[in-house]
Amino acid sequence: MTVRKEQELILQQLGRRQLANGTIDRREFLTRSMVAGLGLAGVGAVAKSGGIGSAFAQDRPLTPTFYQWIEDLHPAIPAVNANFEGINYQIAPVEGFGIERFVAEAKDGKSTWDVYAGQTPFVEMSAMIEADVIEPWDPYIPQEVLDDMIPAIRDECTIDGKLYGWPFLLDVIGNSWHSGITEAAGLDDTAPETWDQHLANAKAIVEAGAAPFGATFDAHGWRSIAPMTHSLNSDVYTSEGLFDFTNDAAVEALMLMKEIMAVSHPDILLEGASDGGVNGTPDEVAFAAQRVGYYHKYFNAPLRMAQNWDDPKQLRLAQLPKFANGEGSTVFWTTGCALFKHGQNKEKAAEYIRALTYDSQIWKDSIVGTESGHPGQLPPYKSVYAEWDANPPDWMPEFVGLVRGQLNQAKAITNHLFGLQQFVIGKPHWEAYLKGEESDPKVALQNVADAVKAEMDRG
Amino acid sequence: MTDAAITLQGTGAREAVSQDPGWFQRNRSAIVRHAVINLFNLIIILPLVWVGMMSIKSRPDSMRGDFWPRKFDFTHYAYVFEKIDTLPINLFNSIYVTFGTVAITSVCAVLAGYALVHLRPRGGAFIIATLLVSLYFPVRVVSIISIYEIQDNLGLINSTSGLILPYVTLQLAISVLIMRSMFQLVPHEMFEAAKIDGAGPWKSLWMVGVPMVRNGLVVIFIVNFVTAWGEFLLCSTLTNDQVARTMPVVLAGAQGGLGQWSWPALAAVYVLVVTPGLIAFTFAQKLFFKGLAEGVTKG
Amino acid sequence: MAQATIAQRFWVFREGANVWLFLVPTLAFFVGYQVYPIFRVLWISFTDFQYLSNEPANWIWFDNYVEAFNDPLMWKSLWRATYFTLMFLPGTIILPLLLAILVDRVSNPKLATLYRVILLIPAVIPSTLIFVLWKWMYNYQVGPINHFLVETLGLFTLYNAPQWLGGTPLTLPAVAIMEVWWGLGYHTIFFLAGLAAIPKELPEAARIDGATEWQVFWHVTRPRLAPIMMILIVLRFGTAMAVIDEYLIFGGFNRDSPTYTWTIFMYDQAFKLGLWRQGFAAAIGMIGAIAMMIVMVILIRIFRPRG
Repeated sequence: MTVRKEQELILQQLGRRQLANGTIDRREFLTRSMVAGLGLAGVGAVAKSGGIGSAFAQDRPLTPTFYQWIEDLHPAIPAVNANFEGINYQIAPVEGFGIERFVAEAKDGKSTWDVYAGQTPFVEMSAMIEADVIEPWDPYIPQEVLDDMIPAIRDECTIDGKLYGWPFLLDVIGNSWHSGITEAAGLDDTAPETWDQHLANAKAIVEAGAAPFGATFDAHGWRSIAPMTHSLNSDVYTSEGLFDFTNDAAVEALMLMKEIMAVSHPDILLEGASDGGVNGTPDEVAFAAQRVGYYHKYFNAPLRMAQNWDDPKQLRLAQLPKFANGEGSTVFWTTGCALFKHGQNKEKAAEYIRALTYDSQIWKDSIVGTESGHPGQLPPYKSVYAEWDANPPDWMPEFVGLVRGQLNQAKAITNHLFGLQQFVIGKPHWEAYLKGEESDPKVALQNVADAVKAEMDRG
Repeated sequence: MTDAAITLQGTGAREAVSQDPGWFQRNRSAIVRHAVINLFNLIIILPLVWVGMMSIKSRPDSMRGDFWPRKFDFTHYAYVFEKIDTLPINLFNSIYVTFGTVAITSVCAVLAGYALVHLRPRGGAFIIATLLVSLYFPVRVVSIISIYEIQDNLGLINSTSGLILPYVTLQLAISVLIMRSMFQLVPHEMFEAAKIDGAGPWKSLWMVGVPMVRNGLVVIFIVNFVTAWGEFLLCSTLTNDQVARTMPVVLAGAQGGLGQWSWPALAAVYVLVVTPGLIAFTFAQKLFFKGLAEGVTKG
Repeated sequence: MAQATIAQRFWVFREGANVWLFLVPTLAFFVGYQVYPIFRVLWISFTDFQYLSNEPANWIWFDNYVEAFNDPLMWKSLWRATYFTLMFLPGTIILPLLLAILVDRVSNPKLATLYRVILLIPAVIPSTLIFVLWKWMYNYQVGPINHFLVETLGLFTLYNAPQWLGGTPLTLPAVAIMEVWWGLGYHTIFFLAGLAAIPKELPEAARIDGATEWQVFWHVTRPRLAPIMMILIVLRFGTAMAVIDEYLIFGGFNRDSPTYTWTIFMYDQAFKLGLWRQGFAAAIGMIGAIAMMIVMVILIRIFRPRG
């Protein structure tokens, strides 16, 4: 049985490669794929007729698996794959961030794939380690690559001194605005330096009637309260690695959120419409519908939404505002690559991920945008930015430099089994303050901390 | 016989008394009936028409509530074909898996329903009770990991055919129960008579039983069709390769994550996916209801 | 005599084997993919099994159940599922029944087919696309429903329009409407199959005897549809109480959302939180299932055919 499964895989993958090379036409590709997909005895016959029986003699090819959106947003990936002969590129069964299948395989001491592109450290890396799914990259990653990583990013991907994630796509929480709307409100086309200015501008938009709403944000904690707290003080993690909701900076951030909500759309706190409420959020729709002026979130969001505008060029991006006497930090995370403990081709995988993460076309596409999308995700390596600084490409927009500057202070959410979940558990409690059900922000945030602790104590 | 005629017959006893009630009066109940049906039809169709419009709107117009766009954009369909080059295969997979599931489940359900009612096996009551209990178990959520293990042991991970096995089980219990209640309506004497005529249990099932439970079969076809056609969780967990997956799973990739497609492109997918289903169903409809009608006239 | 007995025994054995042959296909699937997983869940619910942990699980008897019963979230989440079921179940039975009676009496074959096909359209749309559709319909900012209420009717403004999905009090009714829409034609077909089995002479005879339409329905049609209605109620009660995908998509894991029902609670514990405490999650699942079974027994007693 297993042998046949392998045969199917090789057949399918080989068929696709031949299609790409133009050696078989589309119709034959479909026939073969169907036969392979049906898993019927016809495999042998197809193998003979196609003269590809020799494919079975090969070892398993390098088998990476990607989160679907990465492929959708970065159309240059297939070009990188083309340099890796025989690569068996797959889409991961992790729709909605589920890692069940990886864990189930690891329990059997095996893995269908060699490397997974789609791991976000604070979201799932601790769980992947705990379940013995992944292993550190250290034996395979070249020292110069390790040294090339922006220090905060290397920290983000490291647990107990070992690099469990090879960073790939960097998302930073920053600010953005619709210059058509700000202009109509008579505002300067410059980035608000401070939150006070951000708020004042947002109010000006509503008062001038330039748009129904002044500003918005994504209400999920790691995209709102965490970066806003960091902009005042990023030293807000407890000794066990949890976000310290009772910290004064968090209280300030929560009060700021409420002030922004006063000039925002009423559905701002609602859950999103895809991926378990995490994506397709109301802020995105409001910004896409050109009904709101200012928007702070990871850059992918405003860039993606602005493509729905009458004139996407009216989008402006900048660093996150800060509190008047704040640290000026923000939150970032990378979506990177995990090495399956029970996978194969580990050296090859390292070679592949290196090629992938340094591919200049991917970065150019990501920053400038292509027909397939405009992710705005940035590279994790110092040398890439240094190269751009030295020879600025004519396509380089201004925000990349601004964000690179902020990366020196920016900080990822500390890795923890509850790294993401603490914000999910806490959300209803701090929203009690935002909705006016609880008048004291400190009490609301204490409730958050209590709820998180209660959930952790269960285990 | 036309609708109006039935109505006339139905209400004839009293209305015949009133003299020449006029066209509207005579057809009142038919008019109301069609109006109500069409109201529901409208409720079903309007959202879909809205989606159809969405698929040809320009992106800025897709983010406005207006039904009629300021600017049309017909390029979204090309985008869909370009992005999901495996769409025909996925569609084929869906059809294949769905029909496999419907066929196997129907056979299982007919055999089991017949045996439970007319062959009265020992332990039948226990089997029925277990089937009933299983309906109330959220097996799906908790069992995904056991099912993964089973499929893995059978070597059926990433096999499209392999999906049929867990799919059959999704509605098996309800299908058997439906068949059981259908067979309960068939008088036991009919099978006794067949037995006396020398027919074994298989033959009497085929000759006597199946024609009698046609209506139930239609229901089972539809129940299983709908379930297998739309199934998402099992397929996304048990297959890896885009060419091995069914259509819903491939489509799900377009609507989630950071790569979420623009709304008009999603709408174009919609139209492309719903249309073949619709055409297939128009034909299947005819067969189903022909079967139904025959079942009625002969029964 | 002895020979006869052996022959008889052989017959009994043959018949018995034959009976089991009929049942084998069903049982093979059922035991493998339903019974075994259920028993596994039952077993897990008595352990402190954590999926991500590599520690062996310990048998802890009823500790998980005690913990669940002491958790207000367990009760709240069960009530939320019940509340949804109470809204959904009547709509999904009564509307299709009404429609089926109306469509059944359309005798123009072309129109009858057309109506049936239109009604069944939603049933051929995969669930993922149903959710996409309704997330558009209900969208606060640009969805057609709010657009109609705000722009066309002027009943609301952009600042106070109804917030349908995403964890508001309207979310469960909104999901119920979506579910009724989705199953409308599908359930109508159930009833049509039942109606087709009623000999046409019966209602007509009743009408000739001077029965009103309501009396015809109540005394002639309804008793004959009872078995199908029974199946539908049982079936839909089961799905309504255990809805999960819709809640995942429209409410996420926000514990204050009315969509955080026991199924989401279970899923949250089993696949999201900490080391995935599947022992506890299994106990939540068992409690939910047992609660459902109790209600089912009551339902069956109410709706069982009398006489």
